[in-house]
Amino acid sequence: MATVGRESGETVIAVGRRTGAAVILYLAFWGWLVSRWVNDWVLPAGWGVQPGTPYIDPATLEPISSQLAFAVEFLPALAAGAYMTLILTIVSIALGFVIAVPVSVARVYGRWTAWLSLGFTELIRGTPLLAQLFVLYYGLPLATEIRMLPFVGTGPIPGQAFWVAIIGFTINSAAYQAEYIRSALLSVDRGQLVAGRSLGLSQIDAIRYVVLPQALRYAIPGWSNELVYLIKYSSLAAFITVPELFEVARTIASQNFKYTALFTLVGLMYLAIIITASNVMTAVEERVHIPGLGQTGTR
Amino acid sequence: MSDPLLRIEHLQKSYGDEEVLKDISFEMDEGDADVLIGPSGSGKSTLLRCINRLTEPDGGDIYLDGELTSGPDYDVNDLRREVGMVFQDINLFAHLTAMENVTLGLKRVLGMGEEAAEAKAMAQLEQVGLENKAESYPAELSGGQQQRVGIARALAMDPKLMLFDEPTSSLDPELTGEVVTVMKNLAAEGMTMLVVTHEMGFARSAATQMLFLEGGYLVEQGPPGQLFDDPEKERTREFLRRITEAEAEGTI
Repeated sequence: MATVGRESGETVIAVGRRTGAAVILYLAFWGWLVSRWVNDWVLPAGWGVQPGTPYIDPATLEPISSQLAFAVEFLPALAAGAYMTLILTIVSIALGFVIAVPVSVARVYGRWTAWLSLGFTELIRGTPLLAQLFVLYYGLPLATEIRMLPFVGTGPIPGQAFWVAIIGFTINSAAYQAEYIRSALLSVDRGQLVAGRSLGLSQIDAIRYVVLPQALRYAIPGWSNELVYLIKYSSLAAFITVPELFEVARTIASQNFKYTALFTLVGLMYLAIIITASNVMTAVEERVHIPGLGQTGTR
Repeated sequence: MSDPLLRIEHLQKSYGDEEVLKDISFEMDEGDADVLIGPSGSGKSTLLRCINRLTEPDGGDIYLDGELTSGPDYDVNDLRREVGMVFQDINLFAHLTAMENVTLGLKRVLGMGEEAAEAKAMAQLEQVGLENKAESYPAELSGGQQQRVGIARALAMDPKLMLFDEPTSSLDPELTGEVVTVMKNLAAEGMTMLVVTHEMGFARSAATQMLFLEGGYLVEQGPPGQLFDDPEKERTREFLRRITEAEAEGTI
């Protein structure tokens, strides 16, 4: 698409402004996080530090700050939890998107499918996510079925609870994303669809080539919101035993009773992830911006 | 004389209880540029939309090039390849450049390759004088330029017939001229076109026939000289007098 690769002067300035301190913080956080994963799971034994142990011995930090020493001691475990959180979020939002697009199109342009789509979104949005996860994990034989599949829970492949959580978050996120996309579809002037049809495009092609490319752009701000929510809601996977960020912190805290310290640490990690996600979405929004149309929102 | 390019017989269309088109019949030969006039709500747009079946007629038959196109056996998408349409609200695809607006139909409907489509689109944009705006997005173009792209987009499909639904009505007065010029050239080149417009200058100089539609009836039709100077029906005279006056005052 021709819009991709275009960069206005304003974008360059905005990016320039964000550089500096922010970039250093990003690099520090993500550099550390990724290096942790590489060290703990990728590097052969004997390389780097012992998997799961801090880069710096907490004992050496103890004289400087006991809080810092405490944080450093548990960060390796939290890095593993953050990995789960990120995979849960990214896979669920991506699969949810794949479902949300046809669901929203069915809702706006379908006849009986509109009712089906409405039923789906209302059912999912109208019931608690936690209840949905419980039904999927405890109520249905899903977990048992998944456990029977090859490789589940072996090596780097997470166990069945993780997959159930993916299914739950995907369905839940699909419903919310469908709502954002639906309102974006409605905001594309219907005349363009008619113009597409008047060229001989079928209804589905006119939606695909004319309406959707615009609607998906308009949906980005709302959709970013859903991404941010999902990063945080993914912590509900803790209740079905997925060792994601929140669950890791809770497990550690239940042993040493340092709840406040651990949840503060975890909160900061969520914050770093969410600020990154929201900045990435702003950059995407600017990149796909249609020249001459309005102004993109800068956060 | 060969078959007319467009033949409409006893066309009828209702919205609910309201009968918008009542027994409309007329013919257009290839190369004709007919102008459809009438008060608002007289069914002009509906008539155009019945021809390319953006609106399905309730009764009567429409033949394009001798083939019955209004029946369920004729695929609407095939029909619309043969009939181009230009809209009052222009309706360019907002996310695509002028060039991409024109190539979309060529690629996705006619299945042309990228290069062939772009060459064709460029030729079409040249025809409407916008070859230097090919990479501009609709929001970066003036209304008149947008509508010329709209015309190029429809023309690129090589239609047998072009329908214009008040192509200048949404434009500022100073921008209508460029669009009318393009339409006049098109008529002079022999494109068959049916035009709903209040641009009486276009009607006088380019129209083969004028059709006066009122209350769903085709009240009168004839060459522009006849309708302007010596209409048979008093209603036609009255409508044309009002519209000519309005035009002189610059309110249209």
